[in-house]
Amino acid sequence: MLQVQNIEKYYGSKNNVTQALNRVSFDVEDGEFLAIMGASGSGKTTLLNCISTIDTISAGKILLDGVSVADLSETELARFRRERLGFVFQDFNLLDTLTIEENIGLALSLNHRDPGTVQNRVRDIAQKLGITDILPKFPYQVSGGQKQRAACARAMVAGQTLLLADEPTGALDSKASKNLLEIMTVMNRDMGATILMVTHDAYSASYAKRVLFLKDGRVFNELLRGDRGRPVFYHEILDVLAALGGDVSDVI
Amino acid sequence: MTLSKLSLRNAQRQARDYLVYFVTIVMAAALLYSFNGLVFSQEVQFLSDEMKVLPLVIILASIVVVCVFGWLVNYATGFMLSRHSRELGNYILIGLTNRQVVRLFFLENLSAGGAALVAGLALGGLLYQILRAILFAMFGLPYHFSLTFSVPAAGLTLFYFTLIYLHALRKSRKRIRRMKIYDLIYYEKQNESIMIQKGKSRRRMFTVSILLGVAGTILLMTGELMTGIIGAGCLIAALFGFFLSFASGVPAFFDKRPAFKYQGQNLLIFRTLAAKLSTMGIVMAIISMIFTATIMTEGGGLVINGIFRGRFTENASFDLYFAIEEEDRDPGPYLDYISEHIPVEQSVLYQVYLTGSPALRNYIGSRTVYPYYNYDQDPVLRWSDYAALRSIAGYPAAEPEPGRYLIHCMAYLEEPLRNYDQPVSLGNITLSPGSIYTEHLSQSYGVTNGYGYILVVPDEAVEGLAVHHLAYAAKTVQPVPAAQYDALQEPPVDYAFVSTKANENAQVAIQTALFVFPLFYLALALTMTAATILTIQQLSETERYRRQFQLLKKLGMDRREMARALRNQFAIYYTMPAVPPLLIGVPFILNLASLTEPGIMVGMNSPLVIVAISLGIFFLIYAIYILLAYTGLKRNVLPQSTEFR
Repeated sequence: MLQVQNIEKYYGSKNNVTQALNRVSFDVEDGEFLAIMGASGSGKTTLLNCISTIDTISAGKILLDGVSVADLSETELARFRRERLGFVFQDFNLLDTLTIEENIGLALSLNHRDPGTVQNRVRDIAQKLGITDILPKFPYQVSGGQKQRAACARAMVAGQTLLLADEPTGALDSKASKNLLEIMTVMNRDMGATILMVTHDAYSASYAKRVLFLKDGRVFNELLRGDRGRPVFYHEILDVLAALGGDVSDVI
Repeated sequence: MTLSKLSLRNAQRQARDYLVYFVTIVMAAALLYSFNGLVFSQEVQFLSDEMKVLPLVIILASIVVVCVFGWLVNYATGFMLSRHSRELGNYILIGLTNRQVVRLFFLENLSAGGAALVAGLALGGLLYQILRAILFAMFGLPYHFSLTFSVPAAGLTLFYFTLIYLHALRKSRKRIRRMKIYDLIYYEKQNESIMIQKGKSRRRMFTVSILLGVAGTILLMTGELMTGIIGAGCLIAALFGFFLSFASGVPAFFDKRPAFKYQGQNLLIFRTLAAKLSTMGIVMAIISMIFTATIMTEGGGLVINGIFRGRFTENASFDLYFAIEEEDRDPGPYLDYISEHIPVEQSVLYQVYLTGSPALRNYIGSRTVYPYYNYDQDPVLRWSDYAALRSIAGYPAAEPEPGRYLIHCMAYLEEPLRNYDQPVSLGNITLSPGSIYTEHLSQSYGVTNGYGYILVVPDEAVEGLAVHHLAYAAKTVQPVPAAQYDALQEPPVDYAFVSTKANENAQVAIQTALFVFPLFYLALALTMTAATILTIQQLSETERYRRQFQLLKKLGMDRREMARALRNQFAIYYTMPAVPPLLIGVPFILNLASLTEPGIMVGMNSPLVIVAISLGIFFLIYAIYILLAYTGLKRNVLPQSTEFR
């Protein structure tokens, strides 16, 4: 589904150039749940921003279903984002002036869906994600976990195929994190969502089927979960992190 | 860094972040200073005796203007306090006392206000010259530009500013002293809970206010005074109801119409507006009231100006005119004075006769608005006198029409009189209707050439007719000076009605200075204040809008659509408070203009032109603020960078 080929990203001016990504390459298959891990400054959020077309790459190629995103015009990019990509952010990014239902419905509205069907589609996905009760509430009236589930609903309601999550559990307590990750697993397994999650939390990453490790803008290692149980996979991730040189307490 | 340095830096930031507000305060100082200049100007008071009242009128208007600007500064200071509450809270957190924070805030505002005052005084000097030039032009005097600084005017402006700022800062001091660190740091959170108001009563209020608004508009359109006043009352109630309940009315409206809600950009636009209005409902209603007052004030000023100008145009047809009603009075002393003191090019001494019948008056009265005034029978002029009057007034000669009577009337009576086909019998002469002339010929005072109309008949036809009054009209070599006009009004010759073109012109200038200047002064202050509050409210949302549009971009909204959403949001936000003023202000101006004698408000002074000019001035100033706010917000919210391409 997604092919990232030798991408590079430089920031800064002539005299002070920082390389954020250095020849990063990987593929994401349809229906995969991939986690990208790394310490702060490793380039993982930059990578996600480039894939999500919010940021541009300095070199290389990003292909989504064979189409290079760099070749798309501004209007095509906007359309591409609203039809194909769903976003889940660390700080939820829900509009505080809209109810949860309206926040989810907004994604459909932007996609120019038949306004008469919006409410039913929102209720349908809300039921699947267990947030029907909070639909009439405003973001400030619900918990962080609920907000993040609402963000997940928004990321999928318009039939988007690739869900990009940036530290989705970053602002949640452990119980809410677990709950969200289980829901993401359901979205991946039962609802066919392809998920690309950036995280520095080994526990979150252990829910993925594959984990890529970034260090200093390069892919350092890759772990496949295979048939192993999640707890085993979790410990393997911790081992890689230790080898990466990061402090374990940093990443849990 | 000392407190004063910090204050100074904050004041600079204030001027930058709230540029529109700062500019308005500069303009406020300029306005106050320039009008104060008129208060203390000796030369302006020497223009005419009546102009000695001008300082009093300007000071009275200034009191209202100071109250209006006082409200603006108070509101803006309170607003900035709430916007910077987190920062102020942090000062207390790091060990400053509340008292020190008060001082910091006080110094910050005082520096910004002081800078605005200095800039305003410089600008006000120029503005004063403009006012001076207008006044001199109105009095027909030569104007020479001379930039002067009036210390008393600056002193009075400083006094007004001190009042305005002390009031605002006293209120802020109270608020800061009462506040706890938690309140300051988490002020935004308190706002959040107010943002959403539900409840049945608010929703009902929303419905009722919409109904009241419709009813009020219909009542206003009837044109009747009493129903109009009730209609205006309904609209004001609707205004407050609407703005107070909009925030809960919109969700209720949406809940019932989900398809409408998710159509296009409706959700985004109306929800954002509802959120904004939930925190500023009353302010929005007050702004709407201020706009209404502005349009009424501007319209009122223009109507008064129109009345004076209209009367002048109609009645100042001759350089010099006098009339004597009493039969036993002798025009001799007047004629003697004129021949001795006033060089005359051409003159005529004549009589206005009465036909003995009010036939024409009754006919007019049955067809158009015609207030009966001073003539109980139709007035008549001799042809030869009429020909002389036309020549003196500078009109082309009229063709004599034997066997016919002509009518000379005000333009508005031409239409009904055109169909008048009745003959007029004077003694044993019967005359049939002839041509109608409509040039201005002093026809709307009591002892002038009829009231609205006069018949012109062959000289022999006036034999034996009763005389209404004796009159004299002249074309003078020079405009008649005020001193000579006054001499003609003083005993022993004070039994005639005297009018000179120069005096009528001066009266227009005086009335304009006394009524129109202060009204426009007030209108300008009102518009600027209300538009500034709307604009700082809108610009204070920059960060929220920026976050919102960044998210929308991620969700796949393209830039064009975002720009459209922003534009629509803007259009509705600025249109809402301007609609009720249109509904109340326009009928008010039209009604006011209809209160004067008919036939005066024509051409550039006609009611519809006055409405157009009033709205034009108002919307021009309003548009400047809207444009400033829109470009500022668009630049910050939808930047043209690669980061946000």
